[in-house]
Amino acid sequence: MRTEDHRDWRLSLGAYALGDLPADERAAVSAHLEGCAECRAELRSLEGVAALMALADPDRIEAPAASPPADLGARIEAQIAAEASRERREKRRRRLRLGAGGAVAAALVAAVLAIAILPGGGSGGGGESSPAQQVHFTSVPNGVSISATLEPHAFGTEIQMYVSGIRSGTLCRVFLRDARGRTFPAGSFRYRWGGDSEAVLSSALDLSQAAEIGVHAGAQTFTAPIGQATALVGGAGTGSA
Amino acid sequence: MGALTRERDVREAYSAHSGELFGFAVRSLGDAGLAEEAVQETFLRAWKAGDRFDPQIGSLRTWLFAILRNVVIDLGRARAARPRVAEGGVEPAVEPLEQALLAWQVEEAMRRIGEDHRRVLLETHFRARPYAEVAAELGVPEGTIKSRVYYGLRALRVALEEMGYED
Ligand SMILES: [Zn+2]
Repeated sequence: MRTEDHRDWRLSLGAYALGDLPADERAAVSAHLEGCAECRAELRSLEGVAALMALADPDRIEAPAASPPADLGARIEAQIAAEASRERREKRRRRLRLGAGGAVAAALVAAVLAIAILPGGGSGGGGESSPAQQVHFTSVPNGVSISATLEPHAFGTEIQMYVSGIRSGTLCRVFLRDARGRTFPAGSFRYRWGGDSEAVLSSALDLSQAAEIGVHAGAQTFTAPIGQATALVGGAGTGSA
Repeated sequence: MGALTRERDVREAYSAHSGELFGFAVRSLGDAGLAEEAVQETFLRAWKAGDRFDPQIGSLRTWLFAILRNVVIDLGRARAARPRVAEGGVEPAVEPLEQALLAWQVEEAMRRIGEDHRRVLLETHFRARPYAEVAAELGVPEGTIKSRVYYGLRALRVALEEMGYED
C-alpha cells in the first residue's frame, strides 16, 4: 500500500475510536486494520481516551474554569503559621518536662506555663509576668520569616530561632544587644532547606538586660527589639543590607 | 528535600496546584464555599503529613489530589449527615467520586487542548453533529474535520498523560 493511503487511514482512526464513522466507512477502516499492525497499534493508543470521553460533560468543558478566591492562599498560610507556632510550644513543653529536675525545673515549668497562656496561644490573657518572650522580625524581605523565642536561664538567655525562606547554606550569626548598645554573641547556625529550621542557641546576656536581637544572615543583618512590658512582642524589626 | 514540611514549601505547592484542586473540588462538591473549605483542609493535612511525602514515589500533584479526595469524602459524609431538606423530594444523583475525578480530568484536558480541536470534538462527538454540517459551519473541507478529530484525540491523550493518566 502507498504511504499516502496509509496516512489517510490513520486520520480516520480518531473518528473510528469514537464510534463516529458512518457504517460504510467504518467497514472500510476495519478492513484496513486487519492487514495493518501499525494502524492497530495507533488505534489502541486512542481507544482508552475515546472511552473516557463518555464521562465528560460538554457544558462543563465550555463553562469558565472556577478559580479560588484571591485570599485563599493567605488564609491557608495564616492557619498553618498558627498551627506551627502552637506545635512549637507543645514541643518546648514536652522537651522541658523531660529534662526537668529540682528547683530549676520548677522555674522552667513556671516559664512554660506562662508560654502556654500567651496571647495568640489560643487561651488569651495573662503573660504580663511571664519571663519568656517571642519576637517576630517584621522588616524582612518577602518570603523570609524569622522569629525567636527567648527564655531566661541562670547562665543568661536561651534563644530558639525559627528561620525560613533564606538561601540554603547561609551562615546565620545571632546576637543580643543591651540598652547601651553592647553586643553579646549568641552563637551561629547554618540554615538548611528541608532540614529543621529551628536552632537553639544561648547568650550570656540576661534576658532582662536584652533590648534587641539580631541575625547576621550572609551579607544581611536583621534586628528586632525585645520588649519588656509584654510577653509576646511583635517587634518592629529593622533590616539593613 | 522535597518534603512539604516548611511553610514556604506549602506556599509553592499552593501556587502550583490550587487552581486544579479547587476546580475539582467545585466539580465534585457542587459548591464554591465547600470547595474553598476542602482546598484549605487539603493543604493543612498536606503540611501536617508533609514528612511522609516522598517525591521518589509519586508526584506532589498526585499526592495532593489523594488528600483532597479524602477531604471531599469527609465533607460529603458531613453533608449527608445533615437532615434532608425536602421530604419526598428527589435525591440528586450522586456521581461516584472516582468517576467524578476522571470526568473532571477529561474536562480539564479538553480545556487545555487547542481551540480548533476542542471545537470539533465538542460538535461532532459530544453534540453528535454530522461532519459535513460542522465542516460547512467552519468553512473547511470535511477531511479537515476528520483530521482535527484525530489530532484532537491525540492532544487529549497527551494532556491527560500530563495529569498522570496511563492506560
Ligand atoms: Zn495502516
